[in-house]
Amino acid sequence: MARTSPTTTGTDPRQASGDSSPESAPQAAVPASDIADPGLALTGLPGIAWAERAMPVLGMLRADFARQQPFAGLTVACCLHVTAETAVLIRTLTAGGARVHLAASNPLSTQDDIAAALAADDAVTVQARAGVDRGTYYEHIHRVLDSAPDLVMDDGCDLVNTLHEDRPELTGHVRGGSEATSSGAARLRRMAAAGSLRFPVVAADLSAIGRMVDHKYGTGQSVIDGILRATNTLVAGATVVVAGFGPCGSGIAERARGLGAQVIVTEVDPVRALGALMQGFRVMPMSAAAPLGELVITATGSRDVVGAAELALLPDGAMLANAGHFDVEIDVSALAALAVDVNPGVRPHADEYVLADGRRLILLAEGRVVNLVAGEGNPAAVMDTSFAVQALALAWLASGTPADGAPGRVLDVPADIDARVASLTLASLGTRIDTLTEDQRRYLESWQQGS
Amino acid sequence: MLDTLPFKVADLSLADFGRREIRLAEHEMPGLMAVRAEYAATQPLAGARITGSLHMTVQTAVLIETLVALGAKVRWASCNIFSTQDHAAAAVAVGPDGTIDNPKGTPVFAWKGETLEEYWWCTQQALTWDGETGPNMLLDDGGDATLLVHKGAEFEAAGMVPAAKDDDPEEWRVILAVLTEALAETPGKWTAMAAGIKGVTEETTTGVHRLYEMARAGTLKFPAINVNDSVTKSKFDNKYGCRHSLVDGINRATDVLIGGKVAVICGYGDVGKGCSESLRGQGARVIVTEIDPICALQAAMDGFQVATLEDVVDTADIFVTATGNYNIITAEHMSRMKHQAIVGNIGHFDNEIDMAGLARLPGIKRTNIKPQVDEWTFPDGHAVIVLSEGRLLNLGNATGHPSFVMSNSFTNQVIAQVELFTKTDEYELGVHVLPKHLDEKVARLHLDALGVRLTQLTKEQAAYIGVPVDGPYKSDHYRY
Repeated sequence: MARTSPTTTGTDPRQASGDSSPESAPQAAVPASDIADPGLALTGLPGIAWAERAMPVLGMLRADFARQQPFAGLTVACCLHVTAETAVLIRTLTAGGARVHLAASNPLSTQDDIAAALAADDAVTVQARAGVDRGTYYEHIHRVLDSAPDLVMDDGCDLVNTLHEDRPELTGHVRGGSEATSSGAARLRRMAAAGSLRFPVVAADLSAIGRMVDHKYGTGQSVIDGILRATNTLVAGATVVVAGFGPCGSGIAERARGLGAQVIVTEVDPVRALGALMQGFRVMPMSAAAPLGELVITATGSRDVVGAAELALLPDGAMLANAGHFDVEIDVSALAALAVDVNPGVRPHADEYVLADGRRLILLAEGRVVNLVAGEGNPAAVMDTSFAVQALALAWLASGTPADGAPGRVLDVPADIDARVASLTLASLGTRIDTLTEDQRRYLESWQQGS
Repeated sequence: MLDTLPFKVADLSLADFGRREIRLAEHEMPGLMAVRAEYAATQPLAGARITGSLHMTVQTAVLIETLVALGAKVRWASCNIFSTQDHAAAAVAVGPDGTIDNPKGTPVFAWKGETLEEYWWCTQQALTWDGETGPNMLLDDGGDATLLVHKGAEFEAAGMVPAAKDDDPEEWRVILAVLTEALAETPGKWTAMAAGIKGVTEETTTGVHRLYEMARAGTLKFPAINVNDSVTKSKFDNKYGCRHSLVDGINRATDVLIGGKVAVICGYGDVGKGCSESLRGQGARVIVTEIDPICALQAAMDGFQVATLEDVVDTADIFVTATGNYNIITAEHMSRMKHQAIVGNIGHFDNEIDMAGLARLPGIKRTNIKPQVDEWTFPDGHAVIVLSEGRLLNLGNATGHPSFVMSNSFTNQVIAQVELFTKTDEYELGVHVLPKHLDEKVARLHLDALGVRLTQLTKEQAAYIGVPVDGPYKSDHYRY
């Protein structure tokens, strides 16, 4: 089953699902790709090649996977943002022997040329078009589930949730999955607590690398990037309200301050609020912050953080952006209900809502995840480490080990996976670090030695 | 007895400690040490009699000994009653070649905690040279030595010292008393002294302001070099020095956790910019007050909230004045502050915070916590903590700017002294700044110590932007 170079665009015909491994019990006809325009495939290739250059860790893993074939004969259903960086991940999985069926994890975030380039690979089907409605979005998820996957890779938990709710007959076949986001992991933990989760899922959001590189630095940078692209507004001198001071929110707050903004943080968690305060941010309830907020960014994972009450307080010209995974942090329907007039697309990804008192509020990216909709998501180097964690977690699950001991649990990323990805990333950056001596290791493990 | 004392310091036995600190400081002051090496052979200050009035710190000791190494004779006083480091003063008096029993150093008149009478006595001592009319060069910080010479000559010309008025500040009364005595003792002393002075080099914003006022009024008696406005002084000393020493002073005085506190910086000039960055770096939320729309806009663009003191006086935890103006924080302001709000000043003079007004409040109680830290309790029971009695807290509560920053400032001073002394004819009566190539030289002397590698313009590149390959690289109005 070893495949030829995964970078080929797959012109040679390939067997259908019949040649998947014998334990793929539930047979299902996998629908063909549903993409905007297969003719865009060549347009997408340079973007993937560019991302590959910035993703050396996945490159190293791909070489390993090509030798070890951890996914030989296995089918992976993915629900991920269809971007160039995701394409590099998919190719890493197919290099390891996987057949991959990919749906978009957001109705707006698909890059159609990337979707086309991926779909041209005969080990991959893609169900994703930019700007689909809610019905089509879920139809696409069902189409990848039709493949009766052995492994799932999720970003926001829509795929795992749909699997459990609508396709429970398929759950017994799944060895496990991975989840990229905090929002999705929170849903999974609620499922697990309710006893509803049927297979182990590794929550990549809580890996040390994920929190640091992906959330703080990646999301922190790309959210600002998305907002700047959508608005071209000068951040210096502006009052920016950041809701939530988790890894994402603190990264956004730091970067907004670095651009010269006065940053106000809102929080519900006293520990995080204290952390924000000690870093010199103003901390106050959203009801107090909203009247000051020229730019309000939500990064909470919660919902209705900016609801009707807060919308009523925002100053004229305030801009609203959401960095959280779901579009529920800003209550868009409340905004629509308050508005007497809407001017959609005053700039790309910026809609102006005119309220009865004449105030104009600018909603960015329809309240959806602004770094992916208005920007290009996290930089490739960030996704490199994040995806490497998920790829290794998936390989670990493919081996069947955790499934024996942990059915239906949400698992942390094993420490050795974090350490391996960190080591590979350091190696790719040309940074060398120290190694403990044997004496030091013994000292650190002992309890007898004191002062 | 005025002209017989060789020196007066707090405790000569501190000289060994001072010398050890001077040795460490020399390593951190590469500009001064490079100047010593450059001029060792030519001795450009031979024949110079320099009276210095500048904070008598360890760094100043390196400055004094650099002037001496260039051939000058030097007499020194501090320019602030609290800023002297007694071990540095002792070490300067003893000198690198002397001992405590046989001091051979520079006459210095300075100790920490002078009274105002003692302060002006010290200044007069530094201006008094055996067998001479006085110094032929002044090195000033804040302009007090320059002021004494000018006022003395002015009153001699008028034939009398005016009587003090009831509402005169205490310090002015002391100055009038000093001059009254001096005029009686040695008539014509100040006029002769002023005539013998080739020029003054002035260290700080406040003193420079006085010089320009005198030049405008036509009363300036000798040329002056404004060292403060060398880029390598004001953009370094004022900003990076204060960035370092403000938190040092607050920490030594109070040891409060700065992270999470709200701090108000009054003034967003070079000093205010350094202070704001300093406290933000510690995790404080900084609010700036300003009167100048340009500086206010800079503060806003740097991400600081800009408010009036009235807006925030009852919510902030730390207040620092850095305006160069007076009556910034009034007694009424302090009466509205939070309990144990910290109030300090980093501007040159002690009038930015109205200490006299505070002391006059009925029912106010002052409790000294430790040197330079006072708790002032209001009748309603709440208190504010005032640092260094409203004098500059970075020097009063800590040790002022670090050596490396002062090396930039003082290298400008030495170069300015050499300029004025050796090229007296080229500097007509008025206030001058050092030419840009000397400013660039000061910076250049500090690069190696930080491992900075400078890129060299090619001839073609230099021609393209119209500058010499070796500088100066910027026009005089460039703002850095």
